[in-house]
Amino acid sequence: MSRSTMSRSSLTRDAVLRAPSPLFDRAAAPSGILNSNRGFLRALGGLCVVLLAVLPFLDASRYTISIATTALIYIMLAMGLNVVVGYAGLLDLGYIAFFAVGAYTSGIFTTVLGWPMWAALPATVLACILAGIIIGAPTLRLRSDYLAIVTLGFGEIIRITANNLEITGGPSGIHGIPSWGFGGWNFDDGFSLFGLQFPGRVVFYYFVAIVVVLVGVIGAGRLAKGRLGRAWKAVRDDEDAAEAMGINTYIAKITAYIIGAVWAGIAGQLMATHLSAISPNSFQFLYSALILMAVVLGGMGSTPGVIIGALFVSLAPELLRDFSEWRFLIFGVLLVVVMLFRPSGLWPSTAILPWLRKHRPVPPPTAGFMAVPPPTANEDLETVDGEEAR
Amino acid sequence: MSALLEVRDLRLQFGGVKAVDGLSFTVEPGEILAVIGPNGAGKTSAFNCISGFYLPTSGSVVFDGKDIVREAPSFLRTLRLVDLLQSFGFYRVLPSRVTKWGMARTFQNLRLFRELSVLDNVKTAMHANLREGFWATLLHTPGYRRAEEECAEQARGWLDFVGFTGDENLYVTQLPYGEQRRVEIARALATGPKMLLLDEPAAGLNFNEKQALMQLIRSIRDLGVAVVLIEHDMGLIMQLAERIVVLNYGKEIAEGSPEQIKNDPVVIEAYLGVEDEPLDATKLQTGTVDLSLLDPTRPDPTRKEKR
Repeated sequence: MSRSTMSRSSLTRDAVLRAPSPLFDRAAAPSGILNSNRGFLRALGGLCVVLLAVLPFLDASRYTISIATTALIYIMLAMGLNVVVGYAGLLDLGYIAFFAVGAYTSGIFTTVLGWPMWAALPATVLACILAGIIIGAPTLRLRSDYLAIVTLGFGEIIRITANNLEITGGPSGIHGIPSWGFGGWNFDDGFSLFGLQFPGRVVFYYFVAIVVVLVGVIGAGRLAKGRLGRAWKAVRDDEDAAEAMGINTYIAKITAYIIGAVWAGIAGQLMATHLSAISPNSFQFLYSALILMAVVLGGMGSTPGVIIGALFVSLAPELLRDFSEWRFLIFGVLLVVVMLFRPSGLWPSTAILPWLRKHRPVPPPTAGFMAVPPPTANEDLETVDGEEAR
Repeated sequence: MSALLEVRDLRLQFGGVKAVDGLSFTVEPGEILAVIGPNGAGKTSAFNCISGFYLPTSGSVVFDGKDIVREAPSFLRTLRLVDLLQSFGFYRVLPSRVTKWGMARTFQNLRLFRELSVLDNVKTAMHANLREGFWATLLHTPGYRRAEEECAEQARGWLDFVGFTGDENLYVTQLPYGEQRRVEIARALATGPKMLLLDEPAAGLNFNEKQALMQLIRSIRDLGVAVVLIEHDMGLIMQLAERIVVLNYGKEIAEGSPEQIKNDPVVIEAYLGVEDEPLDATKLQTGTVDLSLLDPTRPDPTRKEKR
């Protein structure tokens, strides 16, 4: 008793509680390619970037570059939806609406107002932030099922609005959207380097690849690891407990929504440039479902999984083109088979590389360290605590 | 010396059910207070009101000089807008704000973040005290890295403090139950509280684990943190608590030291009930109660005795 009163008096009542320093040093986390998850993913990511860079040298045909660009834009979209669905756990069935907002904003700013494409980017981002707040603010206090219905409605509202407004070109949409250009030089001009000719489509492909890899994949992945990402995951796992941990769940959810919207908006602007024409038909519910499928199929909250899912969703219909009318049936059957055998996705976020699994320590039995240490050791523990209190 | 927490005439009704009915008590800084009572006495409901999860029907809760119960203007009440506004966080104090003020809590049934590792669970609790900007996170600036390292260091400090010696990279669902309890207490401590609310921390623990828990709660108190615990294990409470508040039917029925509570007839009545009252001789005579009807040896008046 005397010990406790002594240490209590030595503390000021209003002192901010300081964390005690760790009692022992931890071994540094392994960082090799084969002996850590992180190192392996980095190596794999580096390999993918090299493949992306080499692709036009292997096959620069119009068809290949076109579907590769589309696949990259799908990855960007899926990474954005992954923030909303995978990290924050908010089911969004109208995600394509933000894609539409991005595509239409950039389309209107470049064709109607005649701005260059890069100048339209801030406008796109702002429009998407606004759209995210407008849809998110009133609906994010709803829990999952109701939120899904509201977002479904929002997706349709955006499409029907675009179909009926004059500035969006009505059902025929916007045509002649220019490519990106800086100063007098435009992507369509292409350029030559060391005698190699880069046509406009390849230049645009590289540009999309850089944006998607840097912003879409690495940016979203970094956000997920920091303070904000932990808050999103906490909200997903247990909203009340997150609130009890000092996280304003409402703000955390709306941030996830805004980030998702901005990612989709940038993807929309890239898509508008890629297709050079947009119409309301490109923003049907089917596409929302397809992107959601990419996230769920790949593994919610998992960067490699979501990339695999987006590639599957965008490339499978193309690769199955030989089967003509059958291709969507085969596509559907493939999906069912994948979900049956990998219910938590192709590459779940909790996945541990198979060769690392055996190295992970098995949790010891309960009595192992919940048990009270022998009396002598007990006193040692008390003195240590007393030291920390002071 | 002013009280850290002051609950005054707290009332909470769910329709006709009075879960908390005029509860008042105080918590002094750095004490261990136990709140006990039979099942359904309103202990957890009171906890939820104090930590901002439930909005009490009336009453006041003042924590560290700040009012946790906010009053909405009457014109909003007549317009029936109060519920809507409160769901957006107006005219109430959100639990996250209460936590920032320095009141941490644990839950009756474990509510850890299932898909986060042990370390990330504790790091999550430092959300409010962590300075990491959006751009810093995107660009991984040196400031961000320092903040993350500091955060991990503190989280490990708390894990060591509660005596967690397992692998911090495991998912919490991979841990045994007792360890999950420890991680939950470490997570609550990581918010940097002045007061810690523990809702049945010893539920489901064996004898040894309870002894370790008592040790842990005392060392938390020694840090200067007031500990308020709801518990059903009387043995643990009598050894641990400095003061006990007893609830029944949402009201405080007794308060005092463990010794006083142990011998309080009202408390014994609440827990064990009262013995049947002895038969009242006057009632028998006036005929209000005819107990002889219940006597099996009584001769049956309808039957004629044969001789």
